[in-house]
Amino acid sequence: MTETDEQAAFDAEVRRYVYEHAMTEGVPPQSAVAAAALSCSTDEVRAAFRRLADARVLVLQEGGGEILMAAPFSAVPTPFVVRSGGRAYFAPCAWDALGVPVVLGRDAEVEASCGCCGTRMSLRVEGGVLVESEPGSVVHFALPAARWWENVVFT
Amino acid sequence: MLLFRSEEHVERWCAQWRMPRGESFPVERCWRLALAWFGADRREPLWRRRTAEECEAVFASLDFTSPFWRMTR
Repeated sequence: MTETDEQAAFDAEVRRYVYEHAMTEGVPPQSAVAAAALSCSTDEVRAAFRRLADARVLVLQEGGGEILMAAPFSAVPTPFVVRSGGRAYFAPCAWDALGVPVVLGRDAEVEASCGCCGTRMSLRVEGGVLVESEPGSVVHFALPAARWWENVVFT
Repeated sequence: MLLFRSEEHVERWCAQWRMPRGESFPVERCWRLALAWFGADRREPLWRRRTAEECEAVFASLDFTSPFWRMTR
């Protein structure tokens, strides 16, 4: 195995752990937590986080090497709260909020609010079906797909 | 990508924040997009991000075909 192959395998293992942690704990892991779990150094994990961010698999927090987003999961609180299996997950946006029950493969409730007036809005997914949403409600994508990565925090 | 009670609330938000109108669609369509987009297990070793062409194919499969959804030049 070449050094490049080893690095790719390590990055895949870090990615696996990031998602496993997000699914079971509600948030992507901090680098120190991932390092302890993977029996490697925090620097090695942060380097993998950086490579995964360069490959647009993760989004890192500004000015630091920790994860901000591992879509559809957010590492910080957001207005999109997904409740499933007795745990709360935060999602970066409406699309991701609906992605959480898909990734978990479980029923879920999404608590969100209207981006305009702040009125509380709930969505419910059961058995792989969206069974509850407010009549007439819509999702708005502000930026075209080609520009999503110009500022992925605001799309 | 934000959730709104209605198209009217989208219009109001765009005006308030001086944002150009993007694309909006019923939540049910966004659910189908989430099902298609997040269906692959990202823990799998062989998982990889879709190419721009593959993204466009996903969008097209759900009838998102306007230039807004184009990722390739």
